[in-house]
Amino acid sequence: MDLFIGSENIISPLGNTASENFNSLRRNESGIQKHINVGFKGEDVYLSKIDSKSIDFYSLLEQSFSESIKGISDEIIESGRCLVFVSTTKGDLSHVNEDSIHSSVQRLQNQFKLANYPLIVSNACISGILALNAAAKLIRSEKYDHAIVIGCDVVSDFILYGFQSLFAISELPCEPFSADRKGITLGEGAATIVMSKDKDIFFASPLRYLSGSSSNDANHISGPSRTGEGLARTIIKTIENANVLISDIDYISAHGTGTLYNDEMESIALDRLKLNDVPINSLKGYYGHTLGAAGVIETVVSMQCLRNNYLIKSLGYKEQGTSCNINMIQKNLEREIKVVLKTSSGFGGCNASAILSK
Amino acid sequence: MNYITTYCHINSESCKVNGAIVAENTGENWLKDLYLNLGIKYPKFHKMDTLSQVAFLASEFLIRSNEDIGKYKEDEIALIFSNKTSSLNTDIKYQNSYENGGTASPAMFVYTLPNILLGEISIRNKWYGEHIFTLFPTFNQKYFVDYPEALLGEYTKACLCGWVEVNNDKIEAFLFFIEKKASKQLNLLHTEQNIERLYKQANG
Amino acid sequence: MGNLKEDLKSQIIEQLNLEEVSVSEIEDDMPLFGDGLSLDSIDALELIVLLEQYHGVRIANPEEGKKIFQSVNSMAEYIIQEKKGA
Repeated sequence: MDLFIGSENIISPLGNTASENFNSLRRNESGIQKHINVGFKGEDVYLSKIDSKSIDFYSLLEQSFSESIKGISDEIIESGRCLVFVSTTKGDLSHVNEDSIHSSVQRLQNQFKLANYPLIVSNACISGILALNAAAKLIRSEKYDHAIVIGCDVVSDFILYGFQSLFAISELPCEPFSADRKGITLGEGAATIVMSKDKDIFFASPLRYLSGSSSNDANHISGPSRTGEGLARTIIKTIENANVLISDIDYISAHGTGTLYNDEMESIALDRLKLNDVPINSLKGYYGHTLGAAGVIETVVSMQCLRNNYLIKSLGYKEQGTSCNINMIQKNLEREIKVVLKTSSGFGGCNASAILSK
Repeated sequence: MNYITTYCHINSESCKVNGAIVAENTGENWLKDLYLNLGIKYPKFHKMDTLSQVAFLASEFLIRSNEDIGKYKEDEIALIFSNKTSSLNTDIKYQNSYENGGTASPAMFVYTLPNILLGEISIRNKWYGEHIFTLFPTFNQKYFVDYPEALLGEYTKACLCGWVEVNNDKIEAFLFFIEKKASKQLNLLHTEQNIERLYKQANG
Repeated sequence: MGNLKEDLKSQIIEQLNLEEVSVSEIEDDMPLFGDGLSLDSIDALELIVLLEQYHGVRIANPEEGKKIFQSVNSMAEYIIQEKKGA
């Protein structure tokens, strides 16, 4: 079954629409800034935040959703054949309690009169891609006709202190895949994508979602597999299911967090599959690592790349820092692209990938 | 049509496989007792948080009671798990670890994601398949029919589904295995009614 | 010094949840990251927390930790050295 994706949106430090964000990216502007005295021991930390104050999770969720649905007919949103997906790792952590996610999701359902309680995907950093894949599978098995996938996460002390305890936070803005990389930069944001088996619900031309899958490393709960096992497996499955050849892939939007081990693992997986020459970048130099929102934000950017035949340079990259060669995009490029591979990996040994096309 | 071929319940009172009690809580250290009951040597167990321990134990009891599970290839079994409160129980402990003059525990922080239990089950069994963790306000039998049906096909040949919840002192795990054919022990159609009935059996 | 090492061993067992290991099984000069205890990278980070919480000694990054956490002996020596300097 053909699946269409469109009516996409991003809310981030780089703008409140997909176009605004893409224009900022074209100018290689980053949302990452130094924030004073926010670390566990009072350190200054680089973060990508929408506001220097704490942003409200629900406002972000609701803003992205309402922007996005302007691009489709009203009756879709309230239809029983439409399922909304919310991808988030921690929801609203302003107080750790039973309702850090459900109360926001319930509010969204009430506000927009959604027929079904949204499906909440909480699967670490692959939540976004996993939600898109889940939407596709549920539509293809005819349980639903349409899906609206929202990814949303906000920066919090809870998360920052945790990554600090792992010594995973970079002292400088993150440098994915680069030789001197020293860790991640946290970010926040929201993004929404509408998916449907029906092309005609979209006011503007949609793109296509071809396939997606997930695969576990079965190795360690926080360190990535040294052989890139799970990532390689999911990419293979996704490519096979998309009915494309490796040579058809025009661009890879990698996970690229900026840690020594993650980026190395990704390069190994890509090398195993002989994807070394495909133009590749990480967007985390612009957005930071937006956790549950990352998969959706970065997929929306890939959609702009497809729409504009334009690739964005991998910000933060200075020189090769992985043992396997990959073709890092070091300058913005005008290039006709038809097929994009998006990958992500996360704690719990999880890996997911998806392929989109024109 | 698909079939539920094995299931396991763990709560604060007992552990049951296919409805029959295999162990009862004598009030000492229940989860540790279950681990000892399994007779395995798996020191990683003690590093897990409560949510992962409960999920792990239920998966072990379930797997050993169904010899067909070993016949699947390493990426053919999908893990489809859910709960209501995510990793709340550990979230609170982790938050306590750094408030009031303490230091954030990195090991505990890793467990503030509910999908880690999927990683633990995958590592133990060397399973490389599809996996997903979702949250629902209450147990959702429709999802546990729809999503396995959506996944079963060319790559996924069976599903291990689970609802695992840890809330204050209350633990609850309901795991069930779905295959394309019935097993010798259990011949239950994979339907919402059957799933709901088995889920409620935990408290019966 | 003797007490410090014994204390360290129980602290290690507790902090790292090594339930199946007893204090007597951890020898003073045994490589902590060898086959014996099968510690991993997260355990190394927890040892950093242990040093800070129980002994008030800070380690700036995991790289520094590699030498310090080689054995109970090296951990004890480091603690004593740091406390002298403080």
